[in-house]
Amino acid sequence: MHNVFAGLAQGLLYSLLALSLVIIWQSTHVLNFAQGAMAMFATYVGMTEIEHGVNYWWCVIISVTVGVLFGGLAERVLIRPLYGKPEINAIVVMVGFLGLIEAFVAGIWTGVTRNIPPPFSQIFFQAHGQVILLSPFVIFQFVLAISIMLIAAAIFRFTKLGLQLRASALAPEVARLLGVRVSRMLTIGWMFSAGVGAVAAVIIASGNFGLYPTNMNGIFVAGFIAAVVGGLDSPLGAIAGGLLIGLTEQFILSYWSANFASLGGIIILVLALMIRPQGIFTKNVERRV
Amino acid sequence: MIRIENLSVNYGAVRALRDVSLEASPGRVTAVLGANGAGKTTLLRTISGLVKPKSGSIVFGEHSLIGLATENIARLGVAHVPEGRGVIGELTVEENLRLGALASKVNISEGLEAQYAQFPALGDRRKKYCATLSGGERQMLAMARALIAQPEVLLLDEPSLGLAPQVTSELMKSILRLCESKNLTVILVEQNAKSALRIAHTAVVLYLGTVVASDDAHKVANDEDLRRYYLGLVQ
Amino acid sequence: MDWIRSLRSQDTTHSRFLVVLSLTVLVLLITIFLPPVADSQLAEGAAIAIVILGLSWLIGWSGQISLGNSGFMAVGAYAASIWAQHHATTPLVFTFFLAIVMGSLSGLIIAIPSTRLKGPYLAGMTLAFSAAISPIAQNFTSVTGGENGQFLNELATPKWFLHLFHGQNAAINANAQWSCDIAIVVAGVAFFFMANLFHSRTGRAMRLIRDNDVAAELVGINLTLTRSVAFMIAAGFAGLGGALYTILNATVNPSTFPLTLSITLLTLMVLGGIGTLSGAVIGGIIYSFSSNLVDHINALTGVNPDSNLGANMQGIIFGALLILTMLFAPRGIAGLWGPLRRLKKPHRRLVTNQEVK
Repeated sequence: MHNVFAGLAQGLLYSLLALSLVIIWQSTHVLNFAQGAMAMFATYVGMTEIEHGVNYWWCVIISVTVGVLFGGLAERVLIRPLYGKPEINAIVVMVGFLGLIEAFVAGIWTGVTRNIPPPFSQIFFQAHGQVILLSPFVIFQFVLAISIMLIAAAIFRFTKLGLQLRASALAPEVARLLGVRVSRMLTIGWMFSAGVGAVAAVIIASGNFGLYPTNMNGIFVAGFIAAVVGGLDSPLGAIAGGLLIGLTEQFILSYWSANFASLGGIIILVLALMIRPQGIFTKNVERRV
Repeated sequence: MIRIENLSVNYGAVRALRDVSLEASPGRVTAVLGANGAGKTTLLRTISGLVKPKSGSIVFGEHSLIGLATENIARLGVAHVPEGRGVIGELTVEENLRLGALASKVNISEGLEAQYAQFPALGDRRKKYCATLSGGERQMLAMARALIAQPEVLLLDEPSLGLAPQVTSELMKSILRLCESKNLTVILVEQNAKSALRIAHTAVVLYLGTVVASDDAHKVANDEDLRRYYLGLVQ
Repeated sequence: MDWIRSLRSQDTTHSRFLVVLSLTVLVLLITIFLPPVADSQLAEGAAIAIVILGLSWLIGWSGQISLGNSGFMAVGAYAASIWAQHHATTPLVFTFFLAIVMGSLSGLIIAIPSTRLKGPYLAGMTLAFSAAISPIAQNFTSVTGGENGQFLNELATPKWFLHLFHGQNAAINANAQWSCDIAIVVAGVAFFFMANLFHSRTGRAMRLIRDNDVAAELVGINLTLTRSVAFMIAAGFAGLGGALYTILNATVNPSTFPLTLSITLLTLMVLGGIGTLSGAVIGGIIYSFSSNLVDHINALTGVNPDSNLGANMQGIIFGALLILTMLFAPRGIAGLWGPLRRLKKPHRRLVTNQEVK
């Protein structure tokens, strides 16, 4: 039963990444294959500062800030020229970006795994002599991930900015007629999404896996599957999908073999496709003109 | 005041507008009439900056609108209610209205109250999602959303589309009322020439992208040739 | 390069055969004059060119994007090596055939859930597959040899060929030349097959599906079936390329065909030119000499090839190249001359220019 915590904690990371993918998808209809890599880059810039004696929390702030700026930069430089072109172009460009970032990071910082000591203990609690897969760090993980999701939801729902972001995604032309600076909103959407992804990367880097150039690949694939299964147009679905995959993986890990845990996501994907064989989310989003 | 001179717009090889000139003054309704494909919608979209013209000029007060971004044109006080109304179904009535006010300097709560006073039906439905509204309610919402920013210019693209005759008649009356009370410059694109001509002061008739008539509304309304050949109005 | 273009426009299989044959012979002749090192590089390039051809077919002709071709290569490679270990006396042709079949089968397995998916969903699905190959290869140790992989016997050069070489390094030169010749011939066969495919009913059906799937259905084309066939063909080509690659290197392990290879394949395909035969050839050639290219750039920019940065230069260069090519020259090198094949838009576009500018 206590395995559930571990599964949910991991699942929350997938949910965060899935959420970031959904934000980008809703605003610009791009599936950002470099999302994980961009977040990883941000954590390299920020979290490695801990080796120079910088306080952990400052590192987190630096990482998220770098991530946000990087996201905005990516939208302006790479995606902006591709509006109006076939979808495939953006996919290919982001795949190239993914390769570039990973190679660059490995080149500058080496591929050696770095451990970032978090401010909370990673030692599991014990209850009645049994080990519960819960530690102060895992609790931190829960708190951070859930807070970010709630903050994101609040911004979208209740603020002027959120309204403009939503309108720019739903009906860009109408939004422009109402004076909304849609192109700026698209950039902000990417920055937002990158920030959310960076939080996931910070957690991963601080955890057991540590910081290495491909540490976000698994999270990306799972987050992608969660977003697709949960619905690229539905943030809640994406979050639910992430949790589901996390729980499935934990299940496989506990009752079968750790080696195959990473197949959890694929299993969910295939199951989802079997249940909805017409393909996931073939619903056409009608854009209001 | 909006002054358009010799406006030409191409869609690829197709000449959508050819040397179109017109003047629209404050406190008056200028109707733009003609059959489908005459270029009426293109004209409005060019004024709003969604379409870039090949040549010609569009002047609003002291601003030249050509080359400006759409959102900046909107912020100057040009409100455009597009074809189909552009009501965002996934948002609530109130959210749509707020959106309209965001880009202006208007105090949002005051603006909302003013529109709810003007359109009580909207006030009753303020938390409803717009996908559930009827055609007439959507039209009301689109108008309120355009007006909340207190624009100087109102561009209306076929507001009567899909509405019952009774509703259309009420709609036209309120357009005229608003035009006169707020001294708006209204450019009204309509395929329903009859109802448009009832409230218009000036009428411009387009045919395949060119202006075939531009005169006082009642003269256009009574011209037999215009009625038969360009306006689809049989005596 | 006109030769290659005329290859595509030849109406009959016969003339296509002649053109491919003469080109293959030409390349074989050229390799005789190249040093053994260059021959081995070209041989690998030929294997990669085969894979690129399959990918180019899939993306350029049937409009389905796949990031999983390194996985199909792995399937073909493992199939070939496992078979060769237990049945060392089988003719090479059979081994290749087996690799193609296994590759195609895995392509079918992936195609079943995937062919109804569009654009990004499909890409992600293939990405997931590609990511799954490594754990599977690592864990079914008894079959795949786990982490260490498989080791094959070196490709045996026949005696009559050895006799053609004299001098000090006769054996080495002979082996290198033989491997290279095998690779070129296999590539030639593959290209011939693909050239015919371009002009067949299947090829035309692919293009129709890419450009207008609604029209295709109206004409009676079974979308799912045709898309699956496209996948299988591409996977078969990748399997062949993977097997050839493995035979040339005499080894395969879980890290031989990583995800980054899928990205490299994509880059080479785009650089060469999507959907074209000459594009695949160009891509293969670039691959052959990519290490030379990287060394050159390292020298130009003063990067130490032994440093971390130096070791990752290839990844950096290829990533940057893919981005730049996609942004500025999406038709690749092959698209810079000759009649441009119009890649019509089959799927939704991004937010249009108008809506953003």
